[in-house]
Amino acid sequence: MRTLWRRRGEGPWPWLAAGSVALSLLMLLALLLLLAIRGLGHFWPAEVALVALQDGQPFAGVAVREEQIPGEETRERLYFTGNRDLDGDRWRWVEVSAIADIRHPAELVVLQRSRWGEFHGRLVAVTGGGEHHTGEAAWPALQARLSELDVLRDERDRLRDDVVVPLVRRLDNAGNLADADFRAALAAANARIRELQSAMGDDILILESVDGRRIEQPLDLVLRAWRPNAMSPLDKLGAWAGGVWLFLSEGPRAANSAGGVWPAIFGTVLMVLLMSLVVTPFGVLAGIYLNEVAHQGPLTRLVRIGVRNLAGVPAIVYGVFGLGVFVYGIGGTLDEWFFSESLPSPTFGTGGLLWASLTLALLTLPVVIVATEEGLARVPDHQREGALALGATRMEMLTRVVLPMTLPAMLTGMILAVARAAGEVAPLMLVGVAKLAPQVPVDGDFPFLHLERKFMHLGYHIYDAAFHGDDVQAAMPLVFATALLLVLVILVLNLTAIFLRHHLRARHGAPSRW
Amino acid sequence: MKDPRPPLSLRLRRRRVRDRLATLLITAGGVGVVVSVLAIGVFLALEVVPLFLGADALSPRELWGPQPVEGYAEPQHRWRPEPLIEGDTTHFGMAPLVWGTLKAALWALLFAVPLALGAAIHSALYMPRRLRTRLKPTLELMEALPGVVIGFVAGILLAPWVERHLAGSLALLVALPLGMVAAGGLRALLPMPLRVRLSPGWAGLWLMPWLVLVGVATLWLAPAIEAALFGGDLRGWLADTLDLDYAARNAMVVGLAMGFAVIPGIYALAEDALAGVPGSLGEGAQALGATRWQTLWKVLLPAAAPGIFSAIMIGAGRAAGETMIVLMASGNTALMSINPLEGLRSLSATIAIELPEAAVGGTHYRLLFLAALVLFAFTFLVNTLAEGVRTRLRRRYRRLEGGT
Repeated sequence: MRTLWRRRGEGPWPWLAAGSVALSLLMLLALLLLLAIRGLGHFWPAEVALVALQDGQPFAGVAVREEQIPGEETRERLYFTGNRDLDGDRWRWVEVSAIADIRHPAELVVLQRSRWGEFHGRLVAVTGGGEHHTGEAAWPALQARLSELDVLRDERDRLRDDVVVPLVRRLDNAGNLADADFRAALAAANARIRELQSAMGDDILILESVDGRRIEQPLDLVLRAWRPNAMSPLDKLGAWAGGVWLFLSEGPRAANSAGGVWPAIFGTVLMVLLMSLVVTPFGVLAGIYLNEVAHQGPLTRLVRIGVRNLAGVPAIVYGVFGLGVFVYGIGGTLDEWFFSESLPSPTFGTGGLLWASLTLALLTLPVVIVATEEGLARVPDHQREGALALGATRMEMLTRVVLPMTLPAMLTGMILAVARAAGEVAPLMLVGVAKLAPQVPVDGDFPFLHLERKFMHLGYHIYDAAFHGDDVQAAMPLVFATALLLVLVILVLNLTAIFLRHHLRARHGAPSRW
Repeated sequence: MKDPRPPLSLRLRRRRVRDRLATLLITAGGVGVVVSVLAIGVFLALEVVPLFLGADALSPRELWGPQPVEGYAEPQHRWRPEPLIEGDTTHFGMAPLVWGTLKAALWALLFAVPLALGAAIHSALYMPRRLRTRLKPTLELMEALPGVVIGFVAGILLAPWVERHLAGSLALLVALPLGMVAAGGLRALLPMPLRVRLSPGWAGLWLMPWLVLVGVATLWLAPAIEAALFGGDLRGWLADTLDLDYAARNAMVVGLAMGFAVIPGIYALAEDALAGVPGSLGEGAQALGATRWQTLWKVLLPAAAPGIFSAIMIGAGRAAGETMIVLMASGNTALMSINPLEGLRSLSATIAIELPEAAVGGTHYRLLFLAALVLFAFTFLVNTLAEGVRTRLRRRYRRLEGGT
């Protein structure tokens, strides 16, 4: 029978159908590949080219891309040249035909600085502390000093975040009543910070750009340094891993166009955790009610359809609801009752972590309800009847027989809800996400978890850095890395859910009612 | 021996009480959750009502009709809820926003429906079971990709790329389907052992490298075609001959990106509808000598049509409400034009941009709530319709199955 069909032609339609599968998969693959390559490639120390132009001017940069000028024969190449303090710009378009010579000399250094961005050029000397290293000795001296600096910087940041900031906040709150111990502790911490700062401050690098201009660079503004052209692949791999780690563990710099995304990761995870704390019990409760307790009449059926349809209501509508009800409604009232001393500046009457979690909990409630219901429907009726026949009350039947069998389904629902919430950005724009919130909502200060604070979010970080930065081009690699991170998190969550559900189907067989 | 536990009757009563308490709790919680979830629509409606009451109520003409605008002879559809400069007049015409929403959804569907239905047909009819059970979760992953990532790629990479390679991208729209058909034709010419290797069931996979090849060839040839047909400047030709303006972030790019986002949803529902058609129907047709495609066209599709319709409706609802993709890929210009190469501004993007800045309780604020209400009502209606159709379809399948 099958071979018979194959011999007879079926026209072009089957091929179009097959082609649409291929095309959909291709698009998915292309998107994932693009994110992976652009997102991870950025951390690889790219070779710095020393480009000599026909007119004799040299510059050092990393080739980014090449473009054909429409309507002309020439091609232009974009170089990332860094050195914004010298040139006023970090990018340079060059006509390919105007390039006389490209070399990759090993002595070119790339410095990552906390001000002015990257530097490309040569290292002339390291001076400070009575020592002066030039020539070949300069590079090892720089590396030694940088690793010392890292230790000092770590200690300073830890002191500032863990000791000074909480103390200052407590002093603010307590006003004049603060006792002398506080002030003494604060003064000691500040003195130590100043000491660390001065230990960092006095070294100077003498740098030279490839066209011969010299600058003096204070060493404490240099974060990392490498010589990409002199590195072996293994060294580069090490530097790459270091770059990825910094991206994951540091806060953003330079208006979100450099640095890392740690506060955004933290904010996303915390928000999603709070959300699942809310959504799971309520969703499961509603699912149990609809499937086990409610009278299965037309009203319940209608409600069920309504709940399912809410899963299709646009996320932004939930955002509007959250803004109207949670932020302005409940939040405004809370402010009037408990925080009236700080009005008119709102405490809960503005977007914050709590309202964002609640809004997303509402948004993902249908997901959990539907998953729970499906799990409950999959439990065969004779299990329930058996339990009841043996004298169990309905509660006992539910908790001892039915719910244990439904547990994986509820877990699946929760994971799907988390995956959906982690990727949802639109409602957050209304109820509490912030462009930059370097203070994470958890710290050592009572009550430790600050529900009213704004937070950063990976998805919003992508939108903000890609569309609202002042140098979008420079932020692009980090945006790709952030997008990759977000997609990875969501894919892993979804894969877990799919795996769980598969496991579940294999154990319980086909659903009995849907 | 004395039983230390309380007497049986007491224990039983306690269990009963506990049971009743638990039931009460579940009922209270369940009803509470359901009511609060369903209250969303009611709340939005309540916030909107003041717009139409009182002295400075907005008339429907102000909201939906064209307005006289300074500097224009004809009345214009205009959305400018806040004055740009001091003393500027405000315009509350929501028609361009609704139009933008529908336009974006339409282009998304135009792109997504053929692909999703094609994929559903292929996987329901031709694909071996082993492959199908792999494909479904893969496409589910595609659905889970966050809109902000898709919008970012569309707005930052795709839009400039299409702008630079407009001829190439339009040529791709023609060349890829032709390439698919050509693959079928070429396969028939292959010697038998190779042809068996390239079975139609696995075509979804082995067509991928072929389509890449076709795509690369098309892009390579496109400048030559552009030079031959349009004098090397397609955009100029479009502007001169068809009077079409071009914006980098346009409805076509939005359609492409949002189409990508809604394909998996439509696919999953359509595939369910097709695979759910009772086997006896298809087998009967094939026993009478129909090919697989004839079976599909004459028997399966008519039977599954309501399910496919509801799949498309749900896709439309998703496309109408999607925010981040439109926000990032559309340019957000409130225009009333059918030109697919111009920008648009949708209801959802307008809410996301303007609501954080709107004064609480003001006209602008309530108008944005009205926009949310319109979106809510639209998606709720569309989904209810789709769900009703699906329920009826399931009943029909059950009857058909029972009849044999």
